[in-house]
Amino acid sequence: MPEIEGSPGSSMHGVTGREPVLAFSVASPMVHTDRTAKFDLPVDSEHKATVFKLFSFANPHMRTFHLSWISFFTTFISTFAAAPLVPIIRDNLNLTKSDIGNAGVASVSGSIFSRLVMGAVCDLLGPRYGCAFLIMLSAPTVFCMSFVNDASGYMTVRFMIGFSLATFVSCQYWMSTMFNSKIIGLVNGTAAGWGNMGGGATQLLMPVLFEIIKKAGATPFTAWRIAFFIPGWLNVIMGILVLTLGQDLPDGNLSTLQKKGDVAKDKFGKVLWYAVTNYRTWIFVLLYGYSMGVELTIDNVIAEYFYDRFDLKLHLAGIIAACFGMANLLARPFGGFTSDYMAKRFGMRGRLWNLWLLQTAGGVCCLCLGLVNSLPLAITFMMLFSIGAQAACGATFGIIPFISRRSLGIISGMTGAGGNFGSGLTQLIFFASASFSTAKGLTYMGIMIIGCTLPVTLVHFPQWGSMFLPPSQDIVKGSEEHYYVSEWTDEEKQKGMHQASLKFAENSRSERGGKVASAPTPPENTPNRV
Amino acid sequence: MEVPAGFLVVYLLFSCFVASSYGVYFSSLNETLIVTATPTQGQVLKAGEDQISVTWRFNQTYRAGTDSAYKTVKVKLCYAPISQKDRSWRKTVDLLKKDKTCPHKIVARPYTASNNSFTWTIERDIPSGVYFVRAFAFNAQDEQVAYGQTTNAHKSTNLFEIQAITGRHMSLDIASICFSAFSIVALAGFFYMEKRKAKGSQEK
Repeated sequence: MPEIEGSPGSSMHGVTGREPVLAFSVASPMVHTDRTAKFDLPVDSEHKATVFKLFSFANPHMRTFHLSWISFFTTFISTFAAAPLVPIIRDNLNLTKSDIGNAGVASVSGSIFSRLVMGAVCDLLGPRYGCAFLIMLSAPTVFCMSFVNDASGYMTVRFMIGFSLATFVSCQYWMSTMFNSKIIGLVNGTAAGWGNMGGGATQLLMPVLFEIIKKAGATPFTAWRIAFFIPGWLNVIMGILVLTLGQDLPDGNLSTLQKKGDVAKDKFGKVLWYAVTNYRTWIFVLLYGYSMGVELTIDNVIAEYFYDRFDLKLHLAGIIAACFGMANLLARPFGGFTSDYMAKRFGMRGRLWNLWLLQTAGGVCCLCLGLVNSLPLAITFMMLFSIGAQAACGATFGIIPFISRRSLGIISGMTGAGGNFGSGLTQLIFFASASFSTAKGLTYMGIMIIGCTLPVTLVHFPQWGSMFLPPSQDIVKGSEEHYYVSEWTDEEKQKGMHQASLKFAENSRSERGGKVASAPTPPENTPNRV
Repeated sequence: MEVPAGFLVVYLLFSCFVASSYGVYFSSLNETLIVTATPTQGQVLKAGEDQISVTWRFNQTYRAGTDSAYKTVKVKLCYAPISQKDRSWRKTVDLLKKDKTCPHKIVARPYTASNNSFTWTIERDIPSGVYFVRAFAFNAQDEQVAYGQTTNAHKSTNLFEIQAITGRHMSLDIASICFSAFSIVALAGFFYMEKRKAKGSQEK
């Protein structure tokens, strides 16, 4: 996001819980490069990297990137580790369908709250300790699986393990301290997508571990408990690596972070108010529940579905289920890419249509997934569904940065929480009751996805229009400046607190699309130089 | 040629949505085998420890020659309706290749009309539940042709219970506690050491 250097909110403040758009701009000549700093990558005046070198492990920037996304990946492995082993666990613990479904709901519910708290933790302790505390304190919860005897124990342990998904927040926060805001979109989008892959990797890993341990002589009801030790160890190992190899800031000094409190921080109450009173926020909270939410739901139910419906062996069901989550490697960035591409020609309207198309296509494929009886067709529809849903996740965060400039952090956080909430809700309605089969549940979920994606047609920006309506013809109301500056009171404007929003408004004019690129700026536009 | 090709595609797609329905149906089989098992009504057995003795023979009241096609017999442990409730992965379906009532194999033997028995130690991966025993007779094409079971047609009499192993072990519990403690202590240790180093360098 283009910002004036040093202006309020351009540093690590205000980016808690942020999950920004996948921007494809990498190095920018407009960013002032600090050539006196001795880092592996070119850095700006805050020593944040201005270039994203994917295959480097150089300290501190790229090392932070890899530590960060791998920790997030590890928590996804731990949270969804039970899912591919459910056919064994349900026999050992004598679970009913509702027990299994409720445990799935529990596994995604904990992080709704922990993600909201994590931002404050990162502010207090720094992202390195935030991440390390979370994954090392959730390691004991993973080891607790060896004690579980019945349905309630199973649900409790899955709930506790689910808290660790808040590493998402520390991951994004940590990278916003290390990478310049011009490339933070690409960096955060890649990290989020690769972390989500953990939900797929675990479907592959756990059945393989289970088979190896069984071959080594353990009975099935013991082997799955032993298999859980591996995600537990991964948590501990990643925690230690984060503590020993990581550092909070490019200069490595946590106390400096605390000294920067002299930068004027925005009032939380105000920021929350502008997030909550913007109706677009709530539409996207709902929408994300049906892209990210259904992705998490599928992570929990798909291996068992293939095992039961097509009579596959456990590890084969796991391989197929893994393909769903692993598609995140490319599908999520693809969604961001198509969003940016559509925006170039059609502006914000293109982004909205892109999101609606991707998410609805995902819903249609989910519907078909529940209906087909042949394995190859089921796998095909599952993959198309995964691409649709994950690309929709990427596309969602192609639009969210434009909802509000002032409250971006909170809106991103609320949207993320909406994803988890949607997952809990869909598991509760469709996969926790014995009234209909998992196959019917998938079909109904597909219908619900299609229905709950329709509200995107209601998202209207006065300056850019909506899917069906044109932008406002009013000279004042139809300007980007009016939309973004209306979040500040006159008092705050007098203090100059709205300058970053003004700059953002000017840069967001590209959302008008290719045809309007040469439109003259309105004469009353306030100059963007202070 | 477009019409037949289009029709073929539609037919293929349609056939993939409609379940294939060939195969043997349970309702078409006769109960020509008499099967008995040692557990009595309501008896509780322990997996991994207790044993079940099964005997089966051809029911002589049927016409001689009915069993001429029988080649092998497979004896299975089956879930009673109470253990199938709310567990759709154990559902009873009439089409036998989709039926999940009897997933646990006890023994498979070549068919003889009488004098068949087998003693089976209940394996350690049998889940807790209420069960009965059923034997299927297969022909040379490995299709079910007859059956016999220890319970009645409604699966309500002569059911016994099996208690599964927990799968838990003392050594696992101890290892779990040790690793958890290590994780917490390591974290606290790092935190404390870094705070001390920061305080030390501040005082310098």
